[in-house]
Order: sequence, then structure tokens, then C-alpha cells
Amino acid sequence: MLAYRRGEAGAFEALYARHKGPLYRFVLRSVKERALAEELYQEIWMRVIESRGRYAVQAKFTTWLYTIAHHRLTDHWRKRGLQLVDAEGADAVGHRSFEPEPRAEGRQDLQRLAAALAALPELQRETFLLHEEAGMTLAEIAVATGATQEAAKSRLRYALARLREALGDD
Amino acid sequence: MTDTERDEKVAAGYRALRSEEPPPALDEAILTAARKRPSQWRVPLSIAAVLVLAVGVTLRMLPQRPEAESVALAPQVMQTPRPAASAPAPARELARPAAGAEAAAEVAAADALAESRMRSDIAAKPTSRASAAPAPPAAGAGAETNVLAGKMAKAELSPQAWLERIAELRKQGRTREAEESLAEFRKRYPDYRIPEPPR
Repeated sequence: MLAYRRGEAGAFEALYARHKGPLYRFVLRSVKERALAEELYQEIWMRVIESRGRYAVQAKFTTWLYTIAHHRLTDHWRKRGLQLVDAEGADAVGHRSFEPEPRAEGRQDLQRLAAALAALPELQRETFLLHEEAGMTLAEIAVATGATQEAAKSRLRYALARLREALGDD
Repeated sequence: MTDTERDEKVAAGYRALRSEEPPPALDEAILTAARKRPSQWRVPLSIAAVLVLAVGVTLRMLPQRPEAESVALAPQVMQTPRPAASAPAPARELARPAAGAEAAAEVAAADALAESRMRSDIAAKPTSRASAAPAPPAAGAGAETNVLAGKMAKAELSPQAWLERIAELRKQGRTREAEESLAEFRKRYPDYRIPEPPR
């Protein structure tokens, strides 16, 4: 990012190539609508581009990028009148629809996993995706989402428990 | 659970789900935007615009001095057509035939200054000088000043103060303004950590 800030356009291309897939999936799985996801995804990168002059090495680029993404998504939820709340220990909306089913291998497992992920409360899903897609540590997730490390840990724990349950692996 | 602990089964399942990539057209749009060099004049122009606004607002907010000269001359100006403004200089030159070119220049400059003061006084206080003047222009000017002052205040606020202002708007039930202000804040400070409101 510092190289890009100095005017090396190639540096941005390398950054973009590295982060585009994970960020795109992070946004897509967060909002669940492809057109909206593409719009938000583009806006996040535009903010990165516009902010290049203010970029300072305080954290990894990944953390900075997903901090911007988190803020953009939070704005999106607020505009839609949704509030991000921790639903730790509570069933998420739609979670009841994932009744335990006979164990099946392959595709069916994946479908259940995808459905369970979509049904997670936003903050838990966000934490899981930051962990799996962006490869971020709990400390980095805490920074990017403005939460405590304990809260991030707790969200990830609940998310994993539900996803395990969906795979029939209680 | 430690940082390194993962649920391998869930992780493997999720990896199998990961296939989506952004469409090539989107990639191209973003990369094209990234290749554009930022305008070298963008920052200096922004600073200049802020300075001009600051000076303008400050001048408007300065208390008006009750100058007898301008108060006395104002009604004449209101009644006199604008082209007559240049007339006083030659008239004073005639009144002082012995004075040289420098003296004439001084007189002209003094007249110009007096005229500019009159204009600014008239513009700033239309209702106090001319009783028949309608009120709406004054109200419009005040509203404009408020908007400018609001923008200036926002431009000069620290991130913390700005957030406090947003919280205040929320308390007042001005949710939409708060949201707009927050969106603007995010644009300006995209990586600023905003504490979540207490639940």
C-alpha cells in the first residue's frame, strides 16, 4: 500500500489480486445479494483508493481493508434499519429451520453449511468470515470490527458451534 | 479456543464453498480507478476553498461598527444611480487645484474606500438603513451564513467531537441527519474506530 501511495500503480494490482476473492466473498456472504454485494465491494475499494494518501502503517493492510469493509457494511445495515447485535447463545432468525438431518456426505453437507452460514447473526457471520476468508487472528478481527478480543472470540465460538451443528457434528 | 484452534471440518467445508470471484468488468473498473493519478491541485484547492469560506464567514460575523460617515451617506447611495459613483473624484480634484497627481490619487483612493464601506454596510444591514427594504433577503443571508458556519464547524471538528455531534443529533431524534453525517464521517475517516453504542 505504501508503494501504491508513492504512485506505483502495479503495487495496487498486486494487492487487489491478493484480496479480491476473499473480500468479494466476505461482502457477498454478508449481504447475500449479488448486485448489492458488487456495489458495496466496489465502494470499499474506491475508499481504499481515495484514502491512499492517508494510509499509515498502523496495522496490516488486511486489517485496514476489512476495517473499511466493516464500516461500509455497518452503514449498509443501519440504512436498512437493522442493528448489529450480538445474539450469543440465542437462536438466530431462521436457525430453527436447520433441524438435525440424517448425516449425508458431500453436496448435501455443503448446502447445509451454506444455509447455516447465511442464517448466522451478522456479527457472528462477519467474525467467521474474517477468520476463514481473510485469515485474520482474533486480535486483528477485534481491531477491524471495533470489538474486544473476548467478544470476537465469543462470536467465533458460537458461529463454529452452529456450523458444526449444521454439518451434523455436534 | 485459542487463536490457532480451528474447526477443521467446518473450515474444510467452507473452503469447498469458496468459488465466487468478482466479475472481470468489476475488476477492470476498480483497477482503472486505481491507475488514475490523484489531482495535484486537489489538496491545495480544498485548502484554498476552506480559507475563502472561513474569511467570508468571519467577515459576515464581525460586529458592524456604527460609522457616522457611512450612516450619513447611505441614503444618498440608495437614491443615486450606480454610474455616479465615479463623480466625486474629479469634483474633489477641482476643489483643490494646487494639489498634484499624488494628492488626486489619494483622494480617489479615499473615495473608493468610502464607497466600498458604504456598499458593504448596505449589503450587511439592508433593513436598518432603508426602512422600505424587504426582510427576506436578510433572512436568506442569515440562513446561508448558518449553513456555511455549519459546514465550517464540521470541517474543523475533531473526529471525536464530530461523533459527539452525531450522537447529539440522534438524541434529538434527527436520525436522518445523524446518518448522513455519519456517512460523511466514514468517508473522511474510513479507518476510524467508532465505538458501538451501548445496548
